[in-house]
Amino acid sequence: MRGKDVTLDSVSITYPNGFTAVEPTDLVIEAGEFFSILGPSGCGKTTILRAVSGFIEPSAGRVLIGGEDMAGNGPNARPTALIFQNLALFPLMPVWENVAFGLEARGIGKKARRDKAQELLDLVALGDQGNKLPSELSGGQRQRVAIARALAVEPAVLLLDEPLSALDLKLRQHMRAELRAIQKKTGVTFIYITHDQGEALTMSDRIAVMNNGVIEQVGTGDEIYSHPRTAFAASFVGETNRLDGRISVVEGAMAQIETPLGRFHARNPEQLAPGAEAMLFVRPEAMRIGGAANRFEAHLVRRDLEGAFLNLFFDAQGAEIAVHVTNDGHAPELRDAAPMRLGFASEQAVILPRGALARTGQELAAQ
Amino acid sequence: MSGLLQGYGRGLTLVFFLAAAAWGLMLIVLPQLTMVERALTAPSRALDSSVAQGLARDARTCISVLQTYATDDTAAATSGGLAVPSMTGGAPSSGGMAVPSMSGDASEPAPSGGLAIPSMTGGAPEPAPSGGLAIPSMSGGAGGAESAAPTRPYILQCERATTHKPLSGGESWLDEVYDLPKLNVSDTAPIAEQIAAAEEIETLAREASLRIREAEASASPYTLSNFATLFEARLIPQSDDQRAIEDARLSNRLMSLTGLRFERDGETYSRIGLVTLTRTLIQAVIATALALLLCYPIAYKVALASPPRQAVWLFLGLIIPYAIVELMRIYAWTTIIDNSGLINGLLHWLGLIDVPIQFKRFPGTVFLVIVYTYVLFMVFPIYNVMSTLDRNQIEAARDLGASPWRVHRRIIIPHSKPGIAVGTIATFMLAAGAFSVPRIISRGLQAEWFSQTIYNKFFESPNANVGAAYSFAYTIVCFLLVALFMWLMRTRLKDFARVQ
Repeated sequence: MRGKDVTLDSVSITYPNGFTAVEPTDLVIEAGEFFSILGPSGCGKTTILRAVSGFIEPSAGRVLIGGEDMAGNGPNARPTALIFQNLALFPLMPVWENVAFGLEARGIGKKARRDKAQELLDLVALGDQGNKLPSELSGGQRQRVAIARALAVEPAVLLLDEPLSALDLKLRQHMRAELRAIQKKTGVTFIYITHDQGEALTMSDRIAVMNNGVIEQVGTGDEIYSHPRTAFAASFVGETNRLDGRISVVEGAMAQIETPLGRFHARNPEQLAPGAEAMLFVRPEAMRIGGAANRFEAHLVRRDLEGAFLNLFFDAQGAEIAVHVTNDGHAPELRDAAPMRLGFASEQAVILPRGALARTGQELAAQ
Repeated sequence: MSGLLQGYGRGLTLVFFLAAAAWGLMLIVLPQLTMVERALTAPSRALDSSVAQGLARDARTCISVLQTYATDDTAAATSGGLAVPSMTGGAPSSGGMAVPSMSGDASEPAPSGGLAIPSMTGGAPEPAPSGGLAIPSMSGGAGGAESAAPTRPYILQCERATTHKPLSGGESWLDEVYDLPKLNVSDTAPIAEQIAAAEEIETLAREASLRIREAEASASPYTLSNFATLFEARLIPQSDDQRAIEDARLSNRLMSLTGLRFERDGETYSRIGLVTLTRTLIQAVIATALALLLCYPIAYKVALASPPRQAVWLFLGLIIPYAIVELMRIYAWTTIIDNSGLINGLLHWLGLIDVPIQFKRFPGTVFLVIVYTYVLFMVFPIYNVMSTLDRNQIEAARDLGASPWRVHRRIIIPHSKPGIAVGTIATFMLAAGAFSVPRIISRGLQAEWFSQTIYNKFFESPNANVGAAYSFAYTIVCFLLVALFMWLMRTRLKDFARVQ
């Protein structure tokens, strides 16, 4: 099996009711790449997937797979296979028939189908489960059946629509590794849709962060996490502390930002000019108790034990500041009521233009 | 059980079980048991004891009428009663009921106009036929003058008062089976002798009746004769040319092969009960198949292939006709298919036909109306199951390269099978039991459906128990067909739980 590249050439998708799910988008996914599209629900990532698989035609622009324009080709005529969020296994067929369904649709004889199904079931370590019904398998096994079924048609591009979201945590973590291994083994291009940044960061070669129909940033996991380019990317991927302010001085790649907690020194990747409205983002694990280049005072108000590390929440003049520290026995206790000095290194803080933010857990809960 | 107790408490659970038991008993078990018992019982008037008792009754009436002659002739004449003057003397008969006496004897009593019909006996008096309404026996022509003149007018009951009486079935006779002397009431003997003879017959008959009843009481009252009538063959009267044409027809050849039609002594016989049964079942199967062919695409369209708003309208269109009473829906069709109905009117107006097409003579019309009448019983179960299908499965199948036909065959139909089975069974049972549709649509111009046969046997035949036997046999046959269908569809009863 050999993967093919997928190109979205200014694709935009507007539903008949007038809702624009995907704004004009250019995206190139390399052949054999594990590519994730990460975004909150309703951001348009599934719509992109359906446009690639052929269930919807883009309102404008072209979808190219392996350099070929896919316009007018239905889902059954594209070199893609889709793994659904709920897997959509055929419950009335035994596992091997599920896996061989795509071959059946291509008119391949029963013997050949059976052999190919067995080969794929062996690949996903379900060789002895072929005659069971999907309902007799565990969640993880069903997951692997869905992968085997999709791989049976030897797709150049495998599209995965949050296939792990129904699994429990341990299994999910295990399946991430398996998916990655299968992708490496087969060399098929994987396009993986998820709202779970952990999945995206652990598995992907590259990630696209998407919000409101717009792809905000494309890059490797490290780039996205450490060098976000937009306020949304910074706030959606990983936890972060945010301070609103205004640029006062620009010094090469760095800048100074005036915030209610004081003036801070940080990276300025977007080359914001002095006077621009901006946001300062600092990861909780970049925060230090005690001295650093940038300093401010805060009260410890909450202390959550995660095990290997601690989540400390400080109150700094009304702003909540999260700090992650390793649980090495030196973490402050809650009864230390005295204000503490917090700080962060300039290289680990980033100033970005003001923009839409990912919704916090509190906002989602209030919805 | 414990769940019920916890959920509803003891009182309500008890009420629930009592209601369920009462329902099962009153609506399922008892009616079927009654039906079976009736089907297995010969009607009481067919019993030999009843024949003997009837004979005693006839003799008694005969005696009482004869006694009026023994005392005063004219009194008898004016008293009405059942006796009718006999027309002796070879006068031509006009053959009606209660014909006036036209004999030369002026003292002959005037006709009384009862039920009996004049006997026009000439010479040897024959026993009158024993059928319900006596038909005049017209023996001898003008020879009445020479033979011994009867001493009384014709009396139906006296004619019937003979121990040589046919038993039910008509093959055996009362006097022969039960060893009675062969007696009858002669109409030429003096009245007193006639009375004596009648009295002797009455006594014999009463004794015999008691004796036979005792024997019958100890014997089983059950018989399969009612079911046997289903297999009875009826002579089809036809000329030889006609027979050649009829025999060449495919349906008749098929019936000959299956034994539903046979030839004996150059005459054609047909087991019409079985023929009607078979034809009805075949027609019900065809109607069900038509309904299925029509409903599957509709259910698919509404359940899986339409946006919800459109599905609502489709559904309304389906349901609105069902807000009309079933009979009205059927009558509505008569206005469409009548000779002066909508279709014929339209065709005539377009100049396509001169003579109206007799739609009510086509079996297809009955199918059409049956399909229309019961289509909802097919659509809803299929729709209900189909709408539970995860549309992702259809998309997954499409994505894996399956053609629409394969998606239906491998994904949608297997999923909808319980609904298809329930809808098919419901529609088949309704079509097989349809009474109003064939009756109203064909208006007797087509061969009757078995439901009509059952109705006729129940309410318009001398033996209603045959109706019970027919309906019970029909229930069994339909049940077997349904079981066969479920076996063919590989449906199990628990699958029906998926049809909400």
